[in-house]
Amino acid sequence: MSKLTQRKSLDYIKKDYVRTRTMPGSWYLSSYKFRFNITHHQPMLEKLKEKKLIANQCSGCNRVFFPPRLVCGQCLVKPDRWVDIRDTARVATYAIAYLKNPDTGQVEEKPMILVQHDGADTCSIAELAPGINVKDTYIGMPIKAHWKENATGGLMDIEYYDPIPDDAKDIE
Amino acid sequence: MGRQVAIVSAGFCEHSSKRSDVNMPELVNEAIRDCLKKVPSLGISDIDAFVTGNMPAFEGANMPELWSTDWMGARNKPLLRVTTGGTTGGTVAIAGYYNVTAGLPGIDTVLAIAYEQQSQGDTSVGLASTAYGEISILNTLGIDYDSLSRILSAGAAIGVAAYQATNYMSKARITEEDLARVVVHNRRMAAKNWWAHLRMPDLTIEEVLDTPYVQYPLRYGMLCPASDGACAMLFTTEEKAKDMCDIPVYVNGVASVANESAVLGYDGSGSAQTDPSAQIGAMRSSELAYSQAGISFPRKEIDYAEVYSPFPNQELMWLEKLGLFEETTAPQMYENGTTALDGDLPVNCSGGVNSTNAIGASAMERPAVAALQIMGKADNQVPKTVHTSIGHGWGGSLNLCTLMVMSDEPKRKWR
Ligand SMILES: [Zn+2]
Repeated sequence: MSKLTQRKSLDYIKKDYVRTRTMPGSWYLSSYKFRFNITHHQPMLEKLKEKKLIANQCSGCNRVFFPPRLVCGQCLVKPDRWVDIRDTARVATYAIAYLKNPDTGQVEEKPMILVQHDGADTCSIAELAPGINVKDTYIGMPIKAHWKENATGGLMDIEYYDPIPDDAKDIE
Repeated sequence: MGRQVAIVSAGFCEHSSKRSDVNMPELVNEAIRDCLKKVPSLGISDIDAFVTGNMPAFEGANMPELWSTDWMGARNKPLLRVTTGGTTGGTVAIAGYYNVTAGLPGIDTVLAIAYEQQSQGDTSVGLASTAYGEISILNTLGIDYDSLSRILSAGAAIGVAAYQATNYMSKARITEEDLARVVVHNRRMAAKNWWAHLRMPDLTIEEVLDTPYVQYPLRYGMLCPASDGACAMLFTTEEKAKDMCDIPVYVNGVASVANESAVLGYDGSGSAQTDPSAQIGAMRSSELAYSQAGISFPRKEIDYAEVYSPFPNQELMWLEKLGLFEETTAPQMYENGTTALDGDLPVNCSGGVNSTNAIGASAMERPAVAALQIMGKADNQVPKTVHTSIGHGWGGSLNLCTLMVMSDEPKRKWR
């Protein structure tokens, strides 16, 4: 599997340049304080403890945001309605990352997905169940949230998403 | 209501992974000299104002425009710096255009310069620093630091483009071979261009498909390089342009449009752009720029296109979103030779961003090459006469697009 990330470069017309003086240096960045308003997340985090999902909805364009949003960029108004959404979703898009497992040192294939929950208009980054064959991932794949045993009120309460049977039919 | 603006020249420096023989101001100077060389009647003292830009975090040098003032010839002259990430070059070019069209007293000729010397610093750190401010909020939502860094590693420029690629591939029903064909097109074009970085005259589709995946569906051989390079463009008024060169290139339309950011979204709230290859920003920017230029049938009226495509799937996508091909038909156009040097619509004959990517300069090199193709002075000149061409830029989290529409006639619709 380590062959997966082996860098094999293609040949190209190279030119050598004279090396002039170089001074090594580093840019130590200070610690920063990023400020966020997270009041709009609180109701959702509370509901996550009950293993339920809620999203907020813009009264201007009726779009449903999960995770909730502070402002609707289309209408420039604060979404002020809370709606329940299901814990079933679909894969909006995916890519396969090749990540090194810190324990074994092996490179593993891992599908990184964006999920769009049924009833929501936005998608967010998530993980698929471990063990799932990456070749089986596709756009529009129906999935369902896999909850942690003890929900603590954080997005990590949904550990990953399990695939569920796809009953979609091809259009004749 | 604004003056008609013309491009009279554009210049480049040699691009490479490590330009160890020059420092940043010297690199910039090379491009400026190449630009001015093409207009013998003009000296550096004839330039009234300067616009410049790069991505400072990538090199680790803050305010580089101040210490390279002398190398630009900008001492004691109006100097403006703009930085917009991947589209920096495109924005610098548009700012150059604005400077001239505004008609300020004493400002007729403006030199726009965009550059990047990536070998000086660490681009991935620069990219992470721009993303971290947005992502760190996920920490407060209960996502621990380990998962966060994993998301970060999968969410950098390649990461977001990989999502876009899977979406486009499933929509257009194409295989990796179609992506590799675009790469081969670009790299072989680059071989005929003296300043390009990855010049591969004999590259084949098989060789590209033989390289390992970096992130499915993108393979190592399909990715853009990290280059050192600079680009300069000279803008002036319609009247002055006629004295400076034989075929002035008129800028008939410009646009810079941002849509909602894809994949990560702001404040960790995800994105309403559930299909990263939908690219409403690109469609809107082409709509705006074409209407300014009076172009109603882009497919018929545009003779040459330079699009910003670090990854092959993007080249296909942009050509469709900018109205040059019907949806999902771009892969066929590469197969049947429409986009070749002698085809109906030559695309990226400079080798494109896929072969040369000095991030800050890339989005300016697109309109620069597109302008030179109209003048007939490009380094990989297309055999047919080019009347109208476009130069496109992309940046942000898949959401910001710049576009410049140029022609050999001053056809701007608004006066
Ligand atoms: Zn709204």
